[in-house]
Amino acid sequence: MSGPVSDTMPTDESIVLQMVVGLLYPFMLLFGFYVILNGHYTPGGGFQGGSVLASLFVARYVVYPVDDTDTETLHSIQRVFLALIVIAPSAVLFTGVIARNPEFRSLYLTTMDVLIGVQVGFGLGVAVLRFAFFQGVGKTWHL
Amino acid sequence: MVEIGTILMMGVFAALAIHSKVLRLSIVYLAVFSLLGAFLYLLYAAPELAIAEAVIGSGLVTLLYLAALKRSRVYTVAVVGTGDRDRLADAYISHVERAKALREIRDFFVLREFELQVVFVPVSLDQAVLDPAYDLVVVEDDEGFSAYTEDESYVMLELEMMLRMRGEASMLRFGRYVAEGSE
Repeated sequence: MSGPVSDTMPTDESIVLQMVVGLLYPFMLLFGFYVILNGHYTPGGGFQGGSVLASLFVARYVVYPVDDTDTETLHSIQRVFLALIVIAPSAVLFTGVIARNPEFRSLYLTTMDVLIGVQVGFGLGVAVLRFAFFQGVGKTWHL
Repeated sequence: MVEIGTILMMGVFAALAIHSKVLRLSIVYLAVFSLLGAFLYLLYAAPELAIAEAVIGSGLVTLLYLAALKRSRVYTVAVVGTGDRDRLADAYISHVERAKALREIRDFFVLREFELQVVFVPVSLDQAVLDPAYDLVVVEDDEGFSAYTEDESYVMLELEMMLRMRGEASMLRFGRYVAEGSE
């Protein structure tokens, strides 16, 4: 597994850690979205799936602690989703869509789970990254 | 049975986390405690809480604690005077504070993101070096400033290497303290 390693890569990281996180990363992503999308009839939901998504930021930070994530943009996206979380239930409640068409209930719950999941995922991820890189002088430092 | 065992293990790991001498180990014990808590939630048929506890308790929080621990260490630099100078006079303190040598030490610790405090102590060099409260002892003699330490940790090794590599450009000589009478 000797691929080309870019020179921005911290070379003193454990190769085992890099391999394991690299292998698990897509499955963590998949699990996060599974938990979010099936939240309304299996265990899980928006918050749980969102925290799994936030752990992706942590996993990336553990193997590649470089402050190149645009936390400002992520924070803005998170605030948009927070607004949508307030707007969507109000709209559904006041328009009475669900009351008239009960077959939309599942779609509504899934939408809410996705909104909450993205909001929690980005929120926790931004919180962790901001904390980890706070007052960071050097570009790379390790735990 | 499994339930009792899990609860007992949680108690053991909680006690270990509190009584451990090494903070980094405490954080690991706390992560294990959290993971056992997640398993307990699963036993009590609350899988949603189990997922959240496993991810947040042993993932995110562990990282936050480790990042906080990273910058919790405070290094103490003691400045001792020599000879007949009044070591605790304001003039002497400001003279040392303005010195390039002390600024180099400060810059190094800022770069490494460690807390640094400088204290002026009215004791001799030998006493200050042997005192475990001080990580680095700076003394001024006729040739300028010298730093002494007994600390063998990587931080001090890096400081020594930095000063040595800069050679004459650094205004500070670095020495490993050797107690008199030995060698």
